[in-house]
Amino acid sequence: MKNKLYTVLIILTVAVPLGLLSENPAWGEWEENYYQKILGFIPNGIKNAHTIASPIPDYSINGMSDVASYYLSALLGLVLVYGIFYILVKIIAKKQDSHGSA
Amino acid sequence: MHIPDGYISPTTVITTYAVALPLWIYGLKKLKEKLNEETLPLIGALSAMSFIIMMFNIPIPGGTSGHAVGAALIAILFGPWVGFISVSLVLLIQAVVFGDGGVSAYALNALSMALTGSFSAYFVFKMIKNKKLAPFLAGWVAIVSSSFVVALALGIQPLFWTHNGQPLYFPFDLKTTMVALVGSHMLFFGIVEGIFTKLIYDYLQGKNREFSYEK
Repeated sequence: MKNKLYTVLIILTVAVPLGLLSENPAWGEWEENYYQKILGFIPNGIKNAHTIASPIPDYSINGMSDVASYYLSALLGLVLVYGIFYILVKIIAKKQDSHGSA
Repeated sequence: MHIPDGYISPTTVITTYAVALPLWIYGLKKLKEKLNEETLPLIGALSAMSFIIMMFNIPIPGGTSGHAVGAALIAILFGPWVGFISVSLVLLIQAVVFGDGGVSAYALNALSMALTGSFSAYFVFKMIKNKKLAPFLAGWVAIVSSSFVVALALGIQPLFWTHNGQPLYFPFDLKTTMVALVGSHMLFFGIVEGIFTKLIYDYLQGKNREFSYEK
């Protein structure tokens, strides 16, 4: 099962720039000027939203092509997901160890 | 379906965090029971897959786009709690690192895509386990139920929170969100999630029946 999962994961990761083909935003995730156009105003909460600056907003890295940043974002995502699970496993194993010896 | 910051009222933010927090704590406990050296590569790969397929934006008629989530596949293989926590982790990385989904809306995004998706898929799959289409339907129901929760949360904003008749947060009403969000997920993204779930499930299963790690 592991090898099959890795195969699928690699294929999907290689194909990830296909996700860039659509210029359409997701429904409900429009730019602010969309509201200005449709409603004639931007709802206050949306205009004054407190957003925490993210290091790689919208999966695009400054000065890099769309495809390259998308690939890098995908890889970073993979590393983070795996890394966090890996650390969790280590923590769980350590806890069980200390329980066992106590 | 990744709600950004500023779309939901502070009351909604607090309520969704209050609901999600105990569920995350309990879910983490359940994950710990399943996560070990042997299942790490599997749960890790499935969660990574969820991250990657959410990057495949699929355009649909009407000028919008969407994507599959991958919660259903994890839930039918490892149980709904593992699905919930794994997809929650993916959503957290998306919100913090990539600004995809607001940090204030993170609890809501986790409740819709991760929790609702995982549990609805799990129960649908359990009910019709022996049918060939079970993984497809589990995937379809998962993402459609998730979109229902999002539509509900967004659609009630202009009902409760306005100032001088102007909506303060998400401006469109329930009818609009239900048609646009649930409708598009029934017709398009549900099919995509269903096909994804069935294809990968069948491929993993091979000739080996009853291979689920869910017990």
